This record gives sequence, structure tokens and C-alpha cells, in this order.
Amino acid sequence: MLKTLTAIAAFIATTAYAAPNAQQLLAATDAIRNPDKPFSLTTTLIEYRNGKQTDANTLAVYSKADKVGGEFRSLIRFVAPARDAGKLMLKSGNDLWFFDPSTKASIRISPQQRLLGQAANGDVVTVNLAKDYHAELDGEEDVQDGERQPHHAYKLALAAASADVTYHKIEMWVDAKSTWPIKAKFYAESGRLLKTAYYRRFETQLGVTRPTETVIIDGLDPNWVTVMRFADYGYRDIPDSWMQRDYLPRFKPE
Amino acid sequence: MHIVVLSFLFASAFATAAGDADLDALSLADQPAPAAEKSSDWRFFVEGAAGYAPLRNGGATRSERLSGSVQLDTRLSPDWRLVFADRLDQNWQASFDNGRATNTIKDAYLSWQASPERSLDLGRINTHYGVAMGYNPTDFFRANAIRVRVSEDPGSLRENRQGSVMLRGQQLWDGGALTLLYSPKLAEHANDGSFNPDWGATNGTDRWLASLSTRLSDDFNPEWLVYREAGHEPQLGANITVLLSAATVAHLEWSGGRASSLLGQLNGIDDVAWRNRWALGATYTTSFKLSLTAEYDYNGAGLDSAGWQALQVGAPQQYGLYRGGVQRLQEQPTRSEWFFRAAWQDALITHLDLTAMLRRNGEDASRMHWFEARYHWDKTDVALQWQLNQGDAGSEYGAASQRQIWQAVLTRYF
Repeated sequence: MLKTLTAIAAFIATTAYAAPNAQQLLAATDAIRNPDKPFSLTTTLIEYRNGKQTDANTLAVYSKADKVGGEFRSLIRFVAPARDAGKLMLKSGNDLWFFDPSTKASIRISPQQRLLGQAANGDVVTVNLAKDYHAELDGEEDVQDGERQPHHAYKLALAAASADVTYHKIEMWVDAKSTWPIKAKFYAESGRLLKTAYYRRFETQLGVTRPTETVIIDGLDPNWVTVMRFADYGYRDIPDSWMQRDYLPRFKPE
Repeated sequence: MHIVVLSFLFASAFATAAGDADLDALSLADQPAPAAEKSSDWRFFVEGAAGYAPLRNGGATRSERLSGSVQLDTRLSPDWRLVFADRLDQNWQASFDNGRATNTIKDAYLSWQASPERSLDLGRINTHYGVAMGYNPTDFFRANAIRVRVSEDPGSLRENRQGSVMLRGQQLWDGGALTLLYSPKLAEHANDGSFNPDWGATNGTDRWLASLSTRLSDDFNPEWLVYREAGHEPQLGANITVLLSAATVAHLEWSGGRASSLLGQLNGIDDVAWRNRWALGATYTTSFKLSLTAEYDYNGAGLDSAGWQALQVGAPQQYGLYRGGVQRLQEQPTRSEWFFRAAWQDALITHLDLTAMLRRNGEDASRMHWFEARYHWDKTDVALQWQLNQGDAGSEYGAASQRQIWQAVLTRYF
């Protein structure tokens, strides 16, 4: 992992005065956001509306990249609030299942249905953008990061490689020196801004300096803000056989 | 020129406003983080409900309920897990002098994870099969499982029921799973005693089930079932879901085999023939959090129009026996039924969920409407439910003595 990152950084450094390869920059941000081996973490989502906290959710997430496509597959268990504790979700591409331990019912849900819950915001985090998007360099800009620090950044324009992704177009600002993702804007096919995300609170987790907090601002209603905090990073053995509906009732994170 | 200047000013003002909004949002996020919640092995809630039901004969009844539910799911060691779920309902009808307590053991089993892919469970397990919403013909362990019917919401009927005692083994592999279970006969008759474990209701006969899940493509993962009950022919089953679009999931649930009709089964008449039961439907979700489900339910063991009419004009005892038996078995009394459901999350205001449900009998056109408005805080839910039964006397929903049922529910989670 470190070797890959070093190689990507070295490549970008040697080509710093030429045009950097946008797709490789994007891959570098993916590698910063996502551990390279199967992992688990705890995600806390705090939702604010009009300056007041309206919701708080805690999720335990086990995730691994698909051997073939590189797409992340995740098992998610709701830890809080108490009403939802113990509920489970499987996300394996478009195979999405929801399991409620009370009713023992496994319900297949559509990608649109998944977007109802707060877990939908996981989309802007545990996702391999380089797999789903074609990146182009769209200039260099001086921008402020989520902690109001100035950065000289490359601006990437990402276009969806296939029709079945949630966001049609993404703009991403990547620090020119470190390749850390700074912020991103996610757009619908209509051109409407859906979300703005700031990646911040960079800390070393599983050997790589990663953002441990993402601030998401709704595109239509900027007073709707979701803060996602990531903690308890750890590598996990996650057999491929767990990534199916029948395993959901048995999934109990340690 | 003026237009250009105005456009520039407007764009600049908008950019500043957007920038300000981002800064405001970041300031909000700077607030000290609340301590992250830790996962708990326990779940516990208490619920109080008050109901009022106008009757067809002009009177009305009222009822009260106090319920407590506890669930424990804990690891005894890395390989052993204990699951226990129990619910106690205290119901009062008409007055607080007329009360009755009913305990329901939903789960009480030990689970041994022999390897990451292999497990064995032993004990009372509330196992549920089926992908449909209104009628689950492959939910073979639903018969006689309900002790207290607290709501007509299908989710409530699945949740508030007792499990069957069984030995269950499961083998997983990448792309599939095989589950085998055996549920033995433990008692002859059901027992409705308040705290009786009621083994006879769920384990009145020997039963076997095998289910196989196979991933045929990335998003096509059907489930096949074989079920056998002592003294009866094997029943086959299938659960299939298909993603029709990013917002639509279609489902098909089917069971079939040689079996008696419900009328034959309840009257000890041997009229065994091949009978299919199935539910076909789809759920569409809008971008504004409204999910709409339509489903057609078919029960080849239920009465057709002629049979249903004949039963209604026949002996009242026979009618009562059939209706009571069908409800205990959680079956559909007649051949066909339509089921519609609309669930709107954060409807109109945040934290308000609205649910509407309609069941329409295909033989007699009687209808049951069910609405719920539920508002939730962090640990408390308040819900108002309204049920309306419409139809001719003797029809599936018109026969109910209660024309309407109002129920207010308060739930507190711990």
C-alpha cells in the first residue's frame, strides 16, 4: 500500500510541471480514503438542520474491495439510535439487502431506497471513484480546506463511466503536493448540485494519513449539514462468502 | 451591458453566499463531537397503547395494552453466541378488571460458528422466509406462531410471534448458501396459558426444510426451498427479486406442492392436489422518500368465489371454524388478494413517517385500509393508527365486528 502511494506520489512529483495524470491523481485520493485491505471502522453521522442537531447515527462497517472490479462491498450494522440498533445492510454493487433482526425479514432494496437513510452518505466516502469515473484535469486553483487552510490544488472533473452510478458528475480538488482530497462537489445528471463534501481532520490510520471526518453540505438546502466521523479503523479477515444475504443474520461486528 | 453586469453581480453574490454557507457548515462541524455510541448486546423497549373501536352494531369497545420487549444477542466466546428475544403483552378489554397477560418467546437459541462459513443453531428460532410484503407462502414456520395480534401491519405480524424449536445448520460459500433445519414434534396441542412456552403451537409436528441460495449474476440471487411436514407431501418454494431500475425492485415468491385445500385441512377432508401459492409485486421509491408497493397474492389452497360464497351462507359454526383456522395458519382465506402499501419517510416534516396500506379481497371485493402516522424522537416514538374494515357481512373484511379501530401507541426505547 505504502509502495503504491509512494509510487503514485513520485510519479505526480516528477510530472509536477507537466500536466499530471488526472486518473492517477484520482486513484491516489481513493487510496488515501480507502484502506487497501479488508477493513472495519465505526462511522458516526451527525445531522444538522438550520444549525441544530436533528439526528445522530452510529454504524459499524465491514468493507472490502471486490477482487475483480475493485468496487467496495460492505456489511453495515446500525449501532445507534436505539430504535435501529441491530439492523443490518449489505451493499454489494446493486445487490442491496436490508435485514431487521426483529422481523427476521431480509428485504431487497433499490439504490434509490437506500438513499433514504443516512447511510447513503457513505457513498461519498467508501467508493472507488477511479473505477466509476473518467477524470480530467480542469486547472489549478487556490482553495480553502475544511479547516480553512489554503491549499494549491488540482481541480479534477469526473464524468461517470456508466449510467448506474449515483452521481453523474463530480468536481474534486486535490492538494497539488500531498494528493490529499480537499473537497468535492457531486452533481445530478440535470446539473443540479447534490452535495458538497469537505475531507478534513487528517490522521494516520492503518499506516496512511487519511481524512477522519467528512462534512457534507446538501446542494439544495445548505442548512442541511451532515458530519461523518470515522474511528476504530482495523484490518479484518472478511471472507467473500459473508457478502451475501444469507450471512446478514449472522453478522455481529466485534 | 446592464444584463451582463447584473449577471456578474448576481453570480458573485451567489458564490459568496455559497461560500458563506460552506463556512457556516464547517463551523457547525467544529462543535465538540458527542461520544460515539457503543454497540450493546441488549435491546429493550416498553410500549403503551390505547384503542377505540366503533362496532357495526352501533356500540364501541375500548382496549389498553402495555408491552415490554427484550432482546439479547451476545457472544459467549468467539465461536458461541446466545440469542434471546421475549415479549410480554398485558391487554385489557373494556375495563382494567378484564386483563390478560401473554408472554411470547420469540428466540432462545445457541449458535456455534464452527468456521467462518459454517454454523449450527439449536433452540427456539423465529425463522422467516419470503421476499413478498403482503403474503409469504414460503414463510413455512408462520403457522400458529402468533400469540397476540397487536397490529395488522405485516412487519408487526412477522416480529411479534414465537419461534419454533429447531436444529439449524448453514454452510456458506462465495456466491451461495445452503441451510438445513429440523424442527421436531414436542407437544400435541397448543396452550394459551399466559406464560406457557406453547411448544404445541409451534412444534406440534415434525418438520424439515432445506434452502439453497445461488448467485447467478452480480445482482440475481434466487433462493430455492424444499419443505416437508410429517404426514404431508413436500412443498417447493422460490424467492426471486429483480432490480428493474435504480428505483424499482420486483419480487416473486412462490410455493407449490401436493396439498389439501385449507377447507379440507381444517375439516380433515383428503382433497390433496397440486396447489400453487404465490405473490408477485414491485416497490418503487421516489426521490422524495416515498416507497410504493403493489402486490398480487394468490393462494391455490384458498376458497374460490363459489366456495367462499357457499361457506358464507352455510352453517355459522363452519364459517367460524374456517376463519379462525385460516387466521391461526396466517393464510389467505380466498384465492386472490391485492395488497398496496405506501410508506413516506420524513413526510412533510422531519421525523414524521406516514404509512398507508390497503388489502382488497379478489373474491368479495371487501377491503381493509390501514394508516399510521409515526413521529420519532431519539428514543421515543408516538404513533396513531387507524384501521377501516369495509365489505358485505360475511366477506373477509366486512365480517369483522369492528368497523374501525383507532389506536394510539407510545414506545420508549432503552
